[in-house]
Amino acid sequence: MVRKDETETELNEELNAYVQSVADAKVQEGATPEEALRSARVELGGMESVKHQVRAVGWEFAVEGFLQDVRYGVRMLLKAPTLTAVALMTIAFGIGANTAIFSLVDAILLRPLPYPNPQQLVVAGTHQRGSSEIELISTADFLTWRDHQQSFDQVAVVDRISSSFALSGMGQPEQIPGVRVSANFFSVFGVAPLKGRGFLREEDGPGAAGVVVISEQFWRDHLGSDPNVLNRTLTLDGEPHTIVGVMPSDFHFPTRRPVALWAIRRLNPPLARPPYSLLPLGRLKMGVSVRQAEAEFNQIVAQVTAQYPDSVDLVGEMRPMKEWMVSDVSTPLLVLLGAIGLLLLIVIVNVANLLLARATARQSEMALRMALGASRGRIVRQLLTESTVLSLLGGVLGVLLAFIAVRAFLIFGPGHMPRLEEVRINPGVLLFAFVICVGGGILFGLAPALETSRPSLSGSLKETSRSSSSASAHRTHRVLLVFEVGLALVLMIGSGLLIRSFVRLSSVSPGFQSDHVLTAAISLSSKYSDPPQILRFWREFLEKVKVLPGVKAVGITTSLPPNLLQITNPFTVEGQSYDRQRAPQLAEEMIVSPEYFRALGVPLIKGRFFSPSDKVEGDKDPLIVIINETMAKQYFGDNDPIGRRIQTGDPDPRAPWETIVGVVGNVKYSGLDSGPGPTIYAPYNEAGWVLWSREMYLVVRGSRNAPDLAPAIRAQLAGLDSSVPLAQVRTMEELIDESLVQERFRTWLISGFAALALLLSAIGLYALISYSVSQRTREIGVRVALGAQRGHVLRMVLSEGMQLLAVGLLIGLVGSFWATRIIRSLLYSTSTTDALSFLATSLTLIAVALLACYVPARRASKVEPMVALRYE
Amino acid sequence: MPDRNKALVQGTLDMLILKTLALEAMHAHGIQLRIMQISQGVFDVNPGSLFPALKRLERAGWLDSEWQATENSRRAKYYALTASGRKQLKSETREWRTQSIAIARILEA
Repeated sequence: MVRKDETETELNEELNAYVQSVADAKVQEGATPEEALRSARVELGGMESVKHQVRAVGWEFAVEGFLQDVRYGVRMLLKAPTLTAVALMTIAFGIGANTAIFSLVDAILLRPLPYPNPQQLVVAGTHQRGSSEIELISTADFLTWRDHQQSFDQVAVVDRISSSFALSGMGQPEQIPGVRVSANFFSVFGVAPLKGRGFLREEDGPGAAGVVVISEQFWRDHLGSDPNVLNRTLTLDGEPHTIVGVMPSDFHFPTRRPVALWAIRRLNPPLARPPYSLLPLGRLKMGVSVRQAEAEFNQIVAQVTAQYPDSVDLVGEMRPMKEWMVSDVSTPLLVLLGAIGLLLLIVIVNVANLLLARATARQSEMALRMALGASRGRIVRQLLTESTVLSLLGGVLGVLLAFIAVRAFLIFGPGHMPRLEEVRINPGVLLFAFVICVGGGILFGLAPALETSRPSLSGSLKETSRSSSSASAHRTHRVLLVFEVGLALVLMIGSGLLIRSFVRLSSVSPGFQSDHVLTAAISLSSKYSDPPQILRFWREFLEKVKVLPGVKAVGITTSLPPNLLQITNPFTVEGQSYDRQRAPQLAEEMIVSPEYFRALGVPLIKGRFFSPSDKVEGDKDPLIVIINETMAKQYFGDNDPIGRRIQTGDPDPRAPWETIVGVVGNVKYSGLDSGPGPTIYAPYNEAGWVLWSREMYLVVRGSRNAPDLAPAIRAQLAGLDSSVPLAQVRTMEELIDESLVQERFRTWLISGFAALALLLSAIGLYALISYSVSQRTREIGVRVALGAQRGHVLRMVLSEGMQLLAVGLLIGLVGSFWATRIIRSLLYSTSTTDALSFLATSLTLIAVALLACYVPARRASKVEPMVALRYE
Repeated sequence: MPDRNKALVQGTLDMLILKTLALEAMHAHGIQLRIMQISQGVFDVNPGSLFPALKRLERAGWLDSEWQATENSRRAKYYALTASGRKQLKSETREWRTQSIAIARILEA
C-alpha cells in the first residue's frame, strides 16, 4: 500500500507539471497566466479521468478495484445491520443444510467404495423365477461357482444369518457384532490387515480349526491393544477361535452396522441345497463385465438346480457392489437433496427480494455514481461483489452449521444406513459449498444489480418521484415472490404427503398388543449340540422366567415383529400340485414355544394354540402347525383349515405332512409397511426344528413396566449358564419405534424444510407488502382524506397480497402434481395426489400468507391522512 | 473534445513515443509537442492516451524515468529509452515498414 501511495503522489506531481508546462506554452503565445492554466486543465480533460486511466494500466488495478468493492460492500452491509443479519442467517441456513445433505449424498452415493479398484467388486444373488427379490445362495451353489467360474480373481461369501457372536471366557459373557466369512473374503476386498494376515485358502475347508480376524477397535477396546494379540484365542459361541489378524479401523464390511469380528465360515460339502444363507461377493478379472460374469453365474446356478432336482428353480443375478449397497437409500437421499435444493432456491429468492428492497432505496446513490461516470458494468460488478461477499460470509456460517449438523446426524440420526462411517465434510463438499455460495451470491445479486443500474438518471436523482425504474424493481420483486410461494408450496405438499404416510404407517396395527412386552435375543453356543440338551435348557429357562414376579407370560421365537423375520419357506397345500416353473408360494415361517402367542398378545381365530402337552419331540410324532388369517383365507377360502395338511420347504412328495391345528391373527414380521402374507408357526421343540432353536428371541409380557424385568431375567439366565448373554434387550414399543426410524427421520427433516420454506415466504410476503404500503402511504393518505373507509384500505392492500398468493399457489400446485411423483416409492398407502395433503398444506399457506399481509395492511388502514401527506 | 487519436493506428502510439525518445530524454508535454511538430499537426496525442501509454511502456521496461529541471526551470518527469526499449523500437519499426510496404502494394495493385 505504501508503494501505491508513492506512485499516486508521483502521478499527481507529473500531471501538475504537465498542466504547468502546457500553461507556460500558452502564456508564451500571449494568454494571461490564469487563462492559460484554466485552458490547460480543460485540455487535460479531467484530471481524475486521466489518473483513472493510468491506474488502469496494471493488473493491481483489477485487484485493487475488487478489494475496494469488497470493502465498500462490507461497509454497506454493516450500514443495514438488521437486513444483513436476516440475510446472513437465511443464507447460512440454506448453505449449511445443502452442504450437510450433500456430504451424505457425496459419501454414500457419489464416492467410489473405499476399497482398491472398487469398480471390480460385484455382489451376486439368486431369485426365484418370476420373483424379482434378490436372495441369498446356498453352500452348494457357492462351492460350484467358486470351483468353476472364470470371471473373477477372487470370490467369497458372507454368511448373512450370522450377525453376532457370544464372546465368553473374558468376564461377563457378551454379544459381539460380527459375521462369518469364507477364506477369500479379505482378498476380494484387497485391503491389507493392520497386523497379521487374512484367512488362508484352506482355512474354510471342512473340519478346519476356528480362526478369526478382529477389528482395530475391538483390539483396542477388548484386548487393550495387546501387541502379542496374534495367536490369542477367543471363545465365540462356545468354540475357540485363534486370532490371525487385525483389520484397520477404516475397513468396513458389511457397512450397515459396526462389525468387530470376522470369523471363518467353514464350507462343508452340502447334503442338500438349502439353506440359502450366503451372500456371494467377487472381484472381477480385468476386462470382464458384470453382464458376462452374470451369464456365467447363471449357467452354474442352472447346473446346481439340475443336481438337486427337488430344489427350487433359481436365476442368478449380479450387481456392482456399490449399487447393491446403496440401492435402498438412494431414492430417499436424492429426494432429500431435491427438497434441500428447493429450499436453497427459496433462500436465494428471499435474499434477492431483501436486497432488491434495499437496492431501491439505494437507487439515487447509484444514479449519482453513474452521473459521475461509472459505467453500468462497473455498478453491476460492485453490487454483485456485495452480494457475493454476503453469500460467502453466510456460507462460512453455513459450513459451520453443516459441521454441527453432520455430527448430530451421525450421533442422533437413523443408523443402519450404508457407508455412514465415510460421511464427513471433505474438500469436495467444501468446494460444493463454495460453488453454491458464489452461484447463489450472483443469482440473488443479479436482479437487484440489474434493476438499480438501469439507466434512468434524471428520474432517480429526483428522490421523491416514484420513478419508472422503481416500479420495475417492484415488478421483479413480485415475480420473484410468486415463485417463492410456489416453491414453498411444492415443499409443503411433499412434506404433507410424507407426514400423512408416516401417520398411516405408525398407526398400522402390528397385529398384537405391543405394550408391556420385553424382548431380547439369546443364542446358545455350539456346545449345545444335541436336541435333548437344548430342549432341557429352554424348558428350565422358560419355567424360571414364568414364575418371576411381574411376568404374565413368556415365549420364544425365531422371528420378531415388526421387522425381524428370519426365514421364508415355500409350502404346498395338500391336494394342490406344485409347478417348478412358477414362482413358489412362500410363507414366513417361524418356530415358537406354546406360550409365545399369549406373551405377544396375538388373538386366536380358530382351533387352538400349541400346548406343552403336544407330543412332537419324537421322530415319528405327527407334525403340527398354526397358520395366520391371511393364509387361511388365501388357501382355504371358506373351508375350515383346521385338520387340513401342508408341506413346507422345497417341494418333495415324500416330505412329511403337517397338520393345521389353529388359525391366529396376522402379525407383521417384514416391516409395518409390508402387506399381509401367509405365516406358518411350528413348535420349537419339534424334532426337525430343535437345532434351529439355538438362536431365539425371548418375548416376555409383564404386568408392570417391562424394562424392569430385565435384571431378574438376566440373573435367571446366568444361573443356568453363565456363558450365554442376554442381548438386544428392548421393549416391543422400542422395536416398533426403531423400525420406523428412517421414515420418521426423513419425514421430520422434510417437514422442517417445508416449515422453513413457509416461514421464508411469509417473511418475503410481509416485506413486500410492507414495502408496497410504505411506497403508497401518501396515496393511502389521500384516499382516507377523501373519505375512503378503513376497511376499504385494508381490503385494497390485502388484495395485492392475495393476487400474488393466488398465482404462487397455482404454480405450486402444478409443480407439486409433477414433483411429488418422485416420492411415490417413499409413501405408504398414500397417493401422490392425496387430496387432504394438498388441501391442508394449501390452506396453511393461505392462512400464514394472509397473516403476513394482514399486519402491514392493518398498518396501512391506520394511516393518518395528515401524517401521510407530510410524509417525505 | 474531438479525439484526433482515433486516426492513430492501434498500437502505433507506443512506437511513436519510443521513436520520439530515441534522440533524447523528454517529459510528457515535450513528447506530445514533438509528435505534433514532426507529424505537422496530424497527430495530436491527448493526455488521456499519453499518460497510460507512458506508464505501460515504463512497466514493460522500455522506458526509464527521472525527475529533472525543465528549460523553464520547473521540475518534470523525463522519460528516456532503455536498452531493451531501443531493441523494441528497432523491431517495431522493422515490423511497421514491412506492413506499410505490404499495404502500399495492395493499395497500388
